Amino acid sequence: METQQPVIFKGTRNGLRIYIDQDSKWEEVLESAAEKLKNGKPFFEGSRVNLSFIGREFSSLEQKKILELFSEYMEPGSVAFMDKLPAEQEDQPSNHDSHIFDSIEEDMTRFVRGTVRSGQRIFYEGNIVVLGDVNPGGELIAGGNIVVIGTFRGVAHAGVSGNANAVVASYRLQPTQLRIADYIARAPEGETEKPDYPEIAFIKDGRLIIEPYLPKRVKA
Amino acid sequence: MGEVIVITSGKGGVGKTTTTANIGTALALEGKQVVLIDADIGLRNLDVVMGLENRIVYDLVDVVEGVCRLKQALIRDKRFKGLYLLPAAQTRDKNAVNPEQMKNLCEELKKHFDYILIDCPAGIEQGFKNAIAGADRAIVITVPEVSSVRDADRIIGLLSAQGLNTPLLVVNRLRMDMVKKGDMMDIDDTIDILGIDLLGVVPDDERIIVSSNRGEPAVIEASSLAGQAYRNIAKRIMGEDVPLIQLENNDRFIDKLLGLFKSKKKN
Repeated sequence: METQQPVIFKGTRNGLRIYIDQDSKWEEVLESAAEKLKNGKPFFEGSRVNLSFIGREFSSLEQKKILELFSEYMEPGSVAFMDKLPAEQEDQPSNHDSHIFDSIEEDMTRFVRGTVRSGQRIFYEGNIVVLGDVNPGGELIAGGNIVVIGTFRGVAHAGVSGNANAVVASYRLQPTQLRIADYIARAPEGETEKPDYPEIAFIKDGRLIIEPYLPKRVKA
Repeated sequence: MGEVIVITSGKGGVGKTTTTANIGTALALEGKQVVLIDADIGLRNLDVVMGLENRIVYDLVDVVEGVCRLKQALIRDKRFKGLYLLPAAQTRDKNAVNPEQMKNLCEELKKHFDYILIDCPAGIEQGFKNAIAGADRAIVITVPEVSSVRDADRIIGLLSAQGLNTPLLVVNRLRMDMVKKGDMMDIDDTIDILGIDLLGVVPDDERIIVSSNRGEPAVIEASSLAGQAYRNIAKRIMGEDVPLIQLENNDRFIDKLLGLFKSKKKN
């Protein structure tokens, strides 16, 4: 049995759940939360997140303090404080390796119509589907999968909250940089052949792999 | 009622001012009433390229601040009937004007002119926001270089956020010889990335530099290929269907001769 951490972040499709150990001191709780937020800064930065604080009773001063801390790193959406999760939302609290988004089979999806151009950044907690191109300098950041029905030339970060099962697929995959969970891959240096078939990127055995997603359709 | 067209690029030095001067002159030669606005406050150039620098009394900032009437600030180009210039102030900066004032200015000018061309400053800051505020249409200039195309892409995104959804593309300073060797991005690649309609392609032409320095737009030179390209662009703006110039045929005679020898050797 591992030692109980004062704060555990757990992602759900409705936002971030912050489990707080009721036996820990309040100072430890704040410290631990601050450290976690610092480590996750690039993930949270600028995004709008629903927050639910769970696990103990909070005084109004404590509520204010912790909310201030979170506001430094993200834009809080709805905020809730509860000492216990409502029964129907209870999900294996023993599962500590937290994923904001751990399903890739089905979830909320944001559709983007048209071209994502340089300087444009699209963030969504669920999946992102672009019906158009993504140009160099454009960024897609998704908690889940990224699908581009067009040519992808920008930067994609799928599974941004740590979901290594996420994939990036595109009609033409020519990314500047690809990130899935903590893995980063960039386009090879120099002139390379650009495949004229759809491809998919995913993590396998700790490596980021790109391959055609319709292998039978590709002539060797 | 006239049409306000902003000529922009994001990146500097790709030919916004030269293009504005030449398209404007070409439209005036077609018999249109045209006014060119230099929106590059603090770094004015359009007056120099048009050769009208020494006739500036009032400028754009004077007009929006009410120092003079609009009519007083407009410089009539005596060489071309129907062509006017509203110069930028040189002693002020971009913050001297706001988008609302530019909008009002454009509305006023629309009553009297067929085309109002705005020469946009480089960058995406205040000057850019001012320049596009009153525009009905936008022309995006790029040269066939990766950095320029990247900036053009950003600009197209910003234009569409302002409701200018269908800008037209001008590829400037294309060097056919370099494209053939694969040293320069070709037009198809550029259009493929930017995904907007092509208004025209202007070949690289040293005479443009000469004519800009002299203050005489290249469109008045019948022999200039770039001038021809600008004349065609002006016609397309007016709604005429003009095919692109065949740039490949511009090889020097000696090149053709050499080409002939080469092909014979192969046989």
